Amino acid sequence: MSKDDPTPLPPVLFHILLSLAEGDRHGYALKREIAQRTGGKLNAGPGVLYGAINKMLELGLIQESGDRPDPHLDDQRRRYYRITPAGRKAARAETLRLRQLADLASATFGVPRRA
Amino acid sequence: MPDAPLSARLYRALLNLYPAAFREEYAQPMEQEYRAELASARGRLAVASLWFHTILDLARSVPAQLAAEAARDTRHALRLWRANPLHIAFTIAALSLAIGANTGIFSVVNALLFRSLPFQNAGRLAALEFFQPPHDTTSQFDAWRTRSSYLADTALYEDGDFNIGQERMARAHVSQTSANFFSLLGALPYLGRTFSPTDHDAAVLGYGLWQELFAGSPRILGSALRVNGQTVTIIGIAPPDFDFPNHTALWKTAVFTPGNNGWRTIARLKPGVTWPQARAAFSIEAPRLWPIRFNPADPHHSRIVPLRDQLAGPARKASLLLLLAVGLTLLIACANVANILLARTTGRAPELAIRSALGATRARLIQQILTECLLLAFVSALLGIAVAIWIAEMAPRWVPGPLAGQTYTILDIRVLFFAIALAVLSAVLFGLLPSLAAGYTHLFPARGAAGFRHSNRIRESLIALQVTLTVVLLAASVSVSSGFARLMHADRGFDTQSPITVSVSIQGTRADLKGSQIAYFEQVLARLRALTGVRSATATDFLPLSPTGFMGGPFRFDGRHPDRNSDFIPVFSDYFSTMGAHLVAGRDFTEADIRSNARVAVVNDEFIRQIAGTPDVLDHLVSIGSEAPWKIVGVVKSIDFLTEWFVGESDRGSPQIFVAPRNPGSFTSTFIVRVNGRAQNYVPVIRDTIRAVDPTVPVFSAETMQDRLDQAFARPRLYRAVSLLFAAFSVLLSLIGVYGMVSYAVAQRTREMGVRLALGATSLGARSLLLRESMLAVLIGLLCGTTIALATGRLLANLFEGVQPLGPAAYLLTAVLLSAIAAASIWSATRPLARLHVADILRAE
Repeated sequence: MSKDDPTPLPPVLFHILLSLAEGDRHGYALKREIAQRTGGKLNAGPGVLYGAINKMLELGLIQESGDRPDPHLDDQRRRYYRITPAGRKAARAETLRLRQLADLASATFGVPRRA
Repeated sequence: MPDAPLSARLYRALLNLYPAAFREEYAQPMEQEYRAELASARGRLAVASLWFHTILDLARSVPAQLAAEAARDTRHALRLWRANPLHIAFTIAALSLAIGANTGIFSVVNALLFRSLPFQNAGRLAALEFFQPPHDTTSQFDAWRTRSSYLADTALYEDGDFNIGQERMARAHVSQTSANFFSLLGALPYLGRTFSPTDHDAAVLGYGLWQELFAGSPRILGSALRVNGQTVTIIGIAPPDFDFPNHTALWKTAVFTPGNNGWRTIARLKPGVTWPQARAAFSIEAPRLWPIRFNPADPHHSRIVPLRDQLAGPARKASLLLLLAVGLTLLIACANVANILLARTTGRAPELAIRSALGATRARLIQQILTECLLLAFVSALLGIAVAIWIAEMAPRWVPGPLAGQTYTILDIRVLFFAIALAVLSAVLFGLLPSLAAGYTHLFPARGAAGFRHSNRIRESLIALQVTLTVVLLAASVSVSSGFARLMHADRGFDTQSPITVSVSIQGTRADLKGSQIAYFEQVLARLRALTGVRSATATDFLPLSPTGFMGGPFRFDGRHPDRNSDFIPVFSDYFSTMGAHLVAGRDFTEADIRSNARVAVVNDEFIRQIAGTPDVLDHLVSIGSEAPWKIVGVVKSIDFLTEWFVGESDRGSPQIFVAPRNPGSFTSTFIVRVNGRAQNYVPVIRDTIRAVDPTVPVFSAETMQDRLDQAFARPRLYRAVSLLFAAFSVLLSLIGVYGMVSYAVAQRTREMGVRLALGATSLGARSLLLRESMLAVLIGLLCGTTIALATGRLLANLFEGVQPLGPAAYLLTAVLLSAIAAASIWSATRPLARLHVADILRAE
């Protein structure tokens, strides 16, 4: 995983990008969304989550979009994150990589592609 | 948030585990998140589950973040090192040498001098020194040992070099022991069994000898072996690391004979008996059983000591000093590291100020410095281990022969850990402290000078400390070395250099047959004396420097009963002239004396002083028991035999009686030959001449007296080598320290010096100024060091064999030498000032 080509993206990073693609989120919202999306299978604790965020900031996949209160949660001021163009590019590359892998696996194991 | 629940406060505390940069960035949202989770957790189970996941999360992310941060800081540190490689090289050199040399030297010496005993519960084993229990028969000995109130068991042994085999004889160290010897020590056989009370003429082979003679064949058990002509049956093999006493290679069952007072006694204390109790009980029993050695003023009086102490002997005390030397050199090295790091941290003030201005917090900068120091310690520790291994591998080349034979574990892990821990501690402490103490981690003054004066004082104190410790070590080393020189050149009453000595052992050979012993010796002596270049030749069973046994007793002078024993030494003709001894009166033994077995004797000056009481002893008589008396025909100055128990100490104080031998060869006999020209050249021809007389007699240890002296003083020689190494090492470290301090001062004060030069000072003047200022610290160190060395000199003399406190001249010499070296080092460090141009400095401004 390098700055130029971050793929393969670790699952947590991919999920964060997926969430941020729909709009700015703060850390706790990301965590809850990811947990919900994966049925609780991927439940990142604060350490892992902010470790991932820190990494993504370094790689330039996301950026901070300032602190503001969260009206949905408890109106506490929280730090929000936004996906960058590099983040979108990385997410697309990861999607392609996963699809190619899935295609290969489908052909190999005889799983019909979803319509 | 003072009203936070305990659980949240705990989480906040745990967040401190993260590296500073991460914490600064994310601690707040992480805590927020935790509180949100906590708020939604209902019931104890949910809170417990939250904590379970939180701890899992911490365990996963903390190491990852720490590693990432350390990698960043390490890269940064390496970049900085590349910018100033010399400074760092000095530090690493000092630290790795300190770790390596100390660990290496200590491990080797430790292994040589204090091997752990391969015995069960060794702390309860005792040696009864200068004491003979009842031992005329086995039953007499058994009756005494089973009745003891304070000893669980007692065993006897007597050891010496014996001939083993029949056709081709080998020499080996053999002990004859009482049957309970192995069981008392708790040693189990490697193969077969050890002695039982019903065994006679049984032997246990040492592991090494078993490998050497029988290639480790287990079929050897039950077969016969000749030991000094006596046939014994091999019943067992000793474990590989068992060679007590004195590197014994074969143990055989003891034969008790009345009057043999050569036994050594070991015992195991009864359970619950303390050492003071045992000593008290022994001091009541001993005078009754063995009255002649019970005078506490006599250094050789009967006593009970821990076996461990007896085996370590004088080395035990020396070990303390060795540890002290290790500690001192480590301190010097740490002072060095402190100095260099102090200079670096101060020197990095501008860099840190810039980073601080760019938003780096205090914790972040401290973490960066800490990483750098740990990296330094780590690299030094790695190099140090390499140095230690190298020293341990080189050791057999430096270590004197008789000691080198021992097997020893290579590296002492405890010392290694200690040295590394100290290195890390000093690196961290002195890398970090200055920035904290001066309080400018938070706001580094980019060009301030206020902090520098403070840290200069610290650095000068460190230099003074280094010089102090170096003087102490150097003084110790010089006094150990001069003590060694004195030991080697002391007047021992005989020529310790040129006589050639060749040992033979006639036990169990044709020459040992009754009545043929004297003839054998006479025949060998006749052939030796006929050799060209040989001036005189003689033989004795008791050679000074390497006596393997001793005889003595309460000899009477003109029938008067003495209050002390005299040593009894049978010698062949021309003994005193060949040995280079000083005959004071009368004559040497002649061939006629030997052949006719004349009852004539030569006594020493101590016999005159302590027993005869009159210098007029010629033609008077000495006698013992009911034997026919000897007529005194000569007086000789005392000959120092250096008995094995007291190597290094003189035993010239004993009365000595020399007589013509009646049945020589019952111990190891040695021919002594004095030649014209270089003794070394004659050794082979003399050895071959002796061998030719009777090829069945083992001939060994053909060497000059000088060689034997070297072996006898192997231990003092080792002390000298080690103390010289430590001293040289400390001088080197101090040099590095002084050089480092001055070159740093030069760099710091370039601007000031430039101004001085601009105002008309010469570069020579500027350099002298720095020399004067720096020498002050050195001189203070010299003064302190000399004071401490003076105080500790006497301690040293008490602890080491042959060492005496140094005179003032030696201290003066040490001081002059050190200050000269320091001055030279300072002068060369100020060299950049000679090339200084005012214009360059101003341009740099």
